[in-house]
Amino acid sequence: MQWAILSGIEGNLAAYEAVLQDIRRQRNPVADLYIIGDVVGLKGDNEATIERVRSPRSGELEPQVCIGWWEEQCFSLHGLSGLPDAPELMAQFGGDGVKHLWKSVSRESVGWLRSLHFGFHELDCLLIHGSTVSYADELTPDTPAIQLCDRLIRADANTLFCGRSGLTFECWVTPGKLRSTVTTLDGKQEPQEQGKTPRRVVGVGSVGRIPGQATYTLYNPGSDRVTFNTVSYS
Amino acid sequence: MKLAVISCIHGNYEALNAVLSDIDDRKADQIYCLGDLVGYGPHPNAVVEMIRSLDIPTCQGCWDEDIVEGLNACECSYPSQLAEQRGRVAHEWTNNTIHPEVREYLATLPMTLRLDNLCFVHGSPNSQHEYLLPSMDGFAALERILSTDADVLFCGHTHVPYVRNLEDGTLTVRVQQPGKDELETQFETPLKQIVNAGSVGEPRHGRPNATYVLYDTDTAQVELREVPYDYELTCAAIIAKGLPPIFAWRLARGMEFAERADDPSHVCQR
Repeated sequence: MQWAILSGIEGNLAAYEAVLQDIRRQRNPVADLYIIGDVVGLKGDNEATIERVRSPRSGELEPQVCIGWWEEQCFSLHGLSGLPDAPELMAQFGGDGVKHLWKSVSRESVGWLRSLHFGFHELDCLLIHGSTVSYADELTPDTPAIQLCDRLIRADANTLFCGRSGLTFECWVTPGKLRSTVTTLDGKQEPQEQGKTPRRVVGVGSVGRIPGQATYTLYNPGSDRVTFNTVSYS
Repeated sequence: MKLAVISCIHGNYEALNAVLSDIDDRKADQIYCLGDLVGYGPHPNAVVEMIRSLDIPTCQGCWDEDIVEGLNACECSYPSQLAEQRGRVAHEWTNNTIHPEVREYLATLPMTLRLDNLCFVHGSPNSQHEYLLPSMDGFAALERILSTDADVLFCGHTHVPYVRNLEDGTLTVRVQQPGKDELETQFETPLKQIVNAGSVGEPRHGRPNATYVLYDTDTAQVELREVPYDYELTCAAIIAKGLPPIFAWRLARGMEFAERADDPSHVCQR
């Protein structure tokens, strides 16, 4: 049994369908389907994608969905959280992007998106769009080692699955030695031992960002093995 | 150069005066202040006027921010309903008491200050509300210092002074990406230091004395200072001004009991 972890559909329904089909074909059955944010975006039909995610067909898995960067932009546009008028969206995609997102996601759908979780703690894993610092926190293989380590400590998890970068990667972070000494008004305290367990950040890829090529992640909690799948579609 | 770093004065004019006298006696060349000039205590205007008149570089604390922005933090601000009730009373009282020019001054305070390889913040480089406790995971603490590009990070907010040395840190990162060779890199850090200045006006180290730190930029020596003062005067003023008497009780004991944060690493997402 394994999990399928998706991110970044971005309204690209054809890409989502292709990934669902690939999941059905797995020899080792997929027992849980996670979508860690960015169901909507500028890559297709947001309403149709939301409907497809919300209403799986008979025999299909019920996806567990959390909030991503694009959902946060919807909330901002609708005055539901963060700064008003989606300044991040405006800065990255301009007025046309703002207009498109505003028109392509109904108020009712925004209400549903607002009801989603910020992330999922499952076994010793955290599944989240960015990190616990922010939905916009973009972790990549180039993120400084100390920052990756910090995000894992904050996540309180051995594996942090994230999707903001859209990349597929597995970064194992192993803390080595660190001498920490604390002195208070009462004198020097006993030296503290720091955790040395290797932990990892996994970028789960992006379903809809690159036209014709969807990437997603399979995770087997029994073997702790991560597999990245690429699905071509037309 | 000898620096004196003070924090968390919280409207306690008596304590500030005692600490400033001690700083004079110790012949410090420059004073830095890490914020929380107001809140809890009975003399917010006098404290701000004193800081301004001495032209002390000051960063904005969480109470200073709340007075400027209003109490709009998420539910993280208070660990219990009782603490929230009392905190709100203190906030309202301070909000009604401070002069307009004091509010304007608090609004101008920066989040961080820099002096060469030293960085000064109230809580952490991320937020005025984050507590850098001495028990925090060493690598997480290291990340806070490295994010500032400084060697020494001065903070307050916990009201308990400490010095934490973090040295010989190593991290190994192994990256696997489809279609690419596995890459392993090792990351090492030289000595980094967190210096918590404690609290002038609302100490919580178990004694009522005001605390602050001295730092010698030439030798990198830190001295944690504890200064006795007439805290009963401040306690009497707290009660006379109608602030919650618990603030006087805890000031007299130098301890915090009811309002210990459940999750000190939580960063407020205003």
